[in-house]
Amino acid sequence: MIGVGKAKQYANVLDKPLSRGRQEVSLSAFAFLFSELVQYNQTQVDNIAELERRLEDAGYAVGARVLELLCHREKGNRRENRLLDILLFIHSTVWKVLFGKVADSLERGTEHEDEYMISEKELLVNRFISVPKDMGAFNCGAFVAGIVRGVLENAGFPAVVTAHFVPIEGQQRPRTTILIKFAEEVLQREARFG
Amino acid sequence: MASAAIYSLFIINKSGGLIYYKDYGSAGRTDTNDSLRLASLWHSMHAISQQLSPTPGCAGIDLLQADNFDLHCFQSLTGTKFFAVCETGAQNIEVLLKVIYELYTDFVLKNPFYEMEMPIRCELFDLNLAQVIQKDRVALLGR
Amino acid sequence: MPPPTAPKSGDALFASVERVNAELFTLTYGAIVRQLLTDLEEVEEVNKQLDQMGYNIGTRLVDEFLAKSNVSRCADFKETADVIAKLGFKMFLGVTATVTNWDAEGTSCSFVLEDNPLVDFVELPDTCQGLQYCNVLSGVIRGALEMVSMKTEVTWVRDMLRGDDAYEMRVKLTKQVPEEYPYKDDD
Repeated sequence: MIGVGKAKQYANVLDKPLSRGRQEVSLSAFAFLFSELVQYNQTQVDNIAELERRLEDAGYAVGARVLELLCHREKGNRRENRLLDILLFIHSTVWKVLFGKVADSLERGTEHEDEYMISEKELLVNRFISVPKDMGAFNCGAFVAGIVRGVLENAGFPAVVTAHFVPIEGQQRPRTTILIKFAEEVLQREARFG
Repeated sequence: MASAAIYSLFIINKSGGLIYYKDYGSAGRTDTNDSLRLASLWHSMHAISQQLSPTPGCAGIDLLQADNFDLHCFQSLTGTKFFAVCETGAQNIEVLLKVIYELYTDFVLKNPFYEMEMPIRCELFDLNLAQVIQKDRVALLGR
Repeated sequence: MPPPTAPKSGDALFASVERVNAELFTLTYGAIVRQLLTDLEEVEEVNKQLDQMGYNIGTRLVDEFLAKSNVSRCADFKETADVIAKLGFKMFLGVTATVTNWDAEGTSCSFVLEDNPLVDFVELPDTCQGLQYCNVLSGVIRGALEMVSMKTEVTWVRDMLRGDDAYEMRVKLTKQVPEEYPYKDDD
């Protein structure tokens, strides 16, 4: 910034004020970094399922931190304890902060009452990625599934979260669905709330 | 129907290897071996032209005009060459090649499944390239 | 031939590219470093891997920089350094670096960064004091320059995570030889 003196030195990083989350980098910087994350993990695995798991694990760490950051900054340390509230938090607040927009849709699964879906026409992380045909249904969105799981689990809503490509009639490119399957205990608690 | 301004598009890596070839009309169709040979030939010619230059700092051929086609070439500072064989007098091809260069920096170089210097097999690159060529074609016919 | 487009300023360049919240970038990088620490355990190995990753990124990122910034071939290393500091860092990270401490031959200089989006919220634990957290950046510079025929050595001189007052990279040009035809592998 023009005219501002050198940044104040803080002895402890915990004393430094939290940024307001307004700083930006280019999408390209993120895309190149993400591409390296995928490439590195490819060298560490023997198969696609393992690659998915590693990307999910990487995302989990991000999700856990995002939850803490946003709880403090955006919600004044308020904790959600209702299922729909935490899902809306992810669909709107988390998505907006990380990807610049709210998610395209949030739906409840029609076949199973423990399933919910967050869908996007195209995940930001996949913007420049073309998966080779021989990798089947592999989706780098596994990273985002991991972020969602990280948020949910650390907020007290354990779930299995996966990313899937869903072909759309008449569209050349499939959309992506993040499928969330909540643990039994979450549904039981929800039922007790009435 | 008016023919497309572009007959074919080539992308060659800094070693002269053909990494992308697309033809847009029967007029310019070449088979795989021919396109590989052409790419290699062009790579050498481009390099020789830099040495033929009487003045220093020549960046190589950017336009070759023959009686029934024009060849426009763009070389990035990293040595990757984008060249298009077009109908004589085709306009704005240099601009088109720069746009294609940007598509390459997005949908090829940011793809973790693309290995540098190898043939390009990126669906998003094909899709976006087709859109750009189509838009260019529409703009031409509209004139 | 249309006249070449004039290069944009750093601010204009950054404004013209699509941008994301820096936190996504910072947190993703943190996840990468954490993965490497788990996989490789030795801090020196992690440093090497971060540098290699940066190098890989640099070799790919340079073309986008050239395509969008419209810079033409730099006359000398001084100009190259200026371009990287004012346009390169700005276009990708949204911050500018200062170029200082030129040596007499003009082949060695420092890039100084006060703002660094890679390191928000980061503190090095005692177990990782040898970690060069920002090694990816030095790798990027090295990789990018190699693609335009400049071989360099890039080392960290100052690191705010280690208690210094800024981030300072020392870049030394070791070889500048564009390949000329006939190329060696033509034999």
